[in-house]
Amino acid sequence: MKIAADRVLGFALIGLAAFFAVQAANLHIPISYEPVGPKAFPIVLSIVLALLSLVLVFRPGENGHFPDKALIVKLLAVLGVLVIYALLFTQLGFIITTFFAVLALTKLFEATWRKALIASVVMAVGSYYLFTQGLGISLPSGYWLADFI
Amino acid sequence: MFDFLIDGFGVALTPLNLGLAFLGAMLGTLFGALPGIGPINGIAILMPLAYTLGLPAESALILLAGIYTGSEYGGRMSSILLNVPGDAGAVMTTLDGYPMAKKGLAGPALGLSAVSSFVGATIAIIGLTLFAPLLARVAVMFGPAEFFALMVFAFASMAVMMGKDPIKTGIGAVLGVMIAMVGVDSGTGVLRYTFGMAELYDGIDFVVMIIGLFAISEILLMLEHANRPSNESDEMPPLGRVMVSLKEVLHCKWTMLRCGLIGFIVGVLPGTGASVAGAVAYTTEKRISDKDGTFGTGNMRGLAAPESANNAAAAGSFVPMLTLGIPGSGTTAVLLGALMLYNITPGPLLFTERPEVAGGLIASLYVGNIMLLALNLPLAGVFARVLTIPRWVLVPAIAILAFIGVYQLHSDLMAIYLMLIIGVFGYLLRKLGFSLAPVILGYVLGGLMEDNLRRALSISGGDTGILWQSGISLGLWIAAAALLILPWLVPKLLPSNSTEKNKQGA
Repeated sequence: MKIAADRVLGFALIGLAAFFAVQAANLHIPISYEPVGPKAFPIVLSIVLALLSLVLVFRPGENGHFPDKALIVKLLAVLGVLVIYALLFTQLGFIITTFFAVLALTKLFEATWRKALIASVVMAVGSYYLFTQGLGISLPSGYWLADFI
Repeated sequence: MFDFLIDGFGVALTPLNLGLAFLGAMLGTLFGALPGIGPINGIAILMPLAYTLGLPAESALILLAGIYTGSEYGGRMSSILLNVPGDAGAVMTTLDGYPMAKKGLAGPALGLSAVSSFVGATIAIIGLTLFAPLLARVAVMFGPAEFFALMVFAFASMAVMMGKDPIKTGIGAVLGVMIAMVGVDSGTGVLRYTFGMAELYDGIDFVVMIIGLFAISEILLMLEHANRPSNESDEMPPLGRVMVSLKEVLHCKWTMLRCGLIGFIVGVLPGTGASVAGAVAYTTEKRISDKDGTFGTGNMRGLAAPESANNAAAAGSFVPMLTLGIPGSGTTAVLLGALMLYNITPGPLLFTERPEVAGGLIASLYVGNIMLLALNLPLAGVFARVLTIPRWVLVPAIAILAFIGVYQLHSDLMAIYLMLIIGVFGYLLRKLGFSLAPVILGYVLGGLMEDNLRRALSISGGDTGILWQSGISLGLWIAAAALLILPWLVPKLLPSNSTEKNKQGA
């Protein structure tokens, strides 16, 4: 028998509630002029969360369909592209990073090479000029370009 | 007493604001039409741009509200043509809209639904004009205790009305409130849940939160459907004439009026939005006018009902947002956050202190609604073509806009990483059967809820009795309790009716 996903989730959330409550209880408050203070509300929240999660443990809903292996690989690939996009965003500048990010994303979403290349050029260059020239927003041009300009 | 509206038209009819209302209507219809991109995503992506362009608060709000109302119009297109709701509000539109399109009546279905949307929205905007100033006058009497009770009521109505699973709605809302706890506690200066990271001292930023939660998780979710053939155009039924005869409109006039009213009322209730309104209106209309059992097979009234209601709900949900500062739906929660970017806290004083914002918004809804009808009747065919945009174009476009938006506001890569982390969190929640609207409502209301609780108890010196001593707050507590108990109690008392109740909840 498969373990209901909601049951696992319920236990995980009870763990989260406990963590949240302990963190709140350990807050060190130097001076407080009010009766409630910053601890009470988070602790009440943890109790509510724990109670709701307990219901989930005892009455789990239906399992949704979860991603298979191929999809997980793709999900990680998309996330990887976005992380690298963020990492290089200011370093290499908007146009070049956007070009490669769009190229990678269009390929992950199964466009042909031709379409992917056209989309990448149009989106990278088009959005750069739309935002910088059209809307007056400054985008990172990249450190490496600075030498040429 | 309608001075604010006259001033409002003065604001809404300036060339800039007219242009923005038109842009909002266009973009909104587009976002609504694209499956997967609803009003929240559209607003999330454009909000930072509106802010960095230096638009004044009322202009930014006019643009964003235009996107909201526009997407309720646009959501119907993919419902009717492809049987895929373009956004949550248009789920019920598929029931009779798609069968109509199958019968070769796609054009009239688009026309009729545009007219119903217009009628529903008009009713609700008039309701908003009449009702909001009155409610604002009552709301001035609200103290912290009353606001706290009101938020409890908002969460109760959300848990009951929103989504299939009230437990998960509740958990989602609590998670949202918990996220709002991160950062410096305003009362004492104590750091909560920052784990030593300086970037979290100011809390999790609103723009980062919504772009991550909605836009990034949507990108991940779209991956699932990437394998499907993207050229759905060959499935698309021929449009025919995108016009509707006066006879057809008159046939549905009572449906539109009734459901507009229902939609408005549901929209005003805090925590419930267009999707709930569509469902309630459809089931009610089915009971009233489905005499020959043709609802679900392409009945015109079955199409007019949810479309009238979801547009009415969109306008109605501005009532609690503008007068009480409590959003009536997930989308107005995002709009509320947008106002907070401008340091405007909506509430009872908005109509007196910032009449240009409140009046300008309401006036622009009138203007925008007429623009939307004008756009959606003749141009439905053009917008319908948007549905054929493949995902490999959509996804990078969303990613670029998300990055530019967050980078503009923060010029900080940490914010972008945080956005991606929240995106994964949002994706997991959606895969586990949560809807995101309660999370965002919890996030927006959480801080306010704690503040009001603490303020109330400071006033009373720690005596919790203050929370229910006034008539208003006691009434709200009773209403909240009734909302939570009734759906569970009523089917037990009326066993024969229970199946219908279940349908309504779905």
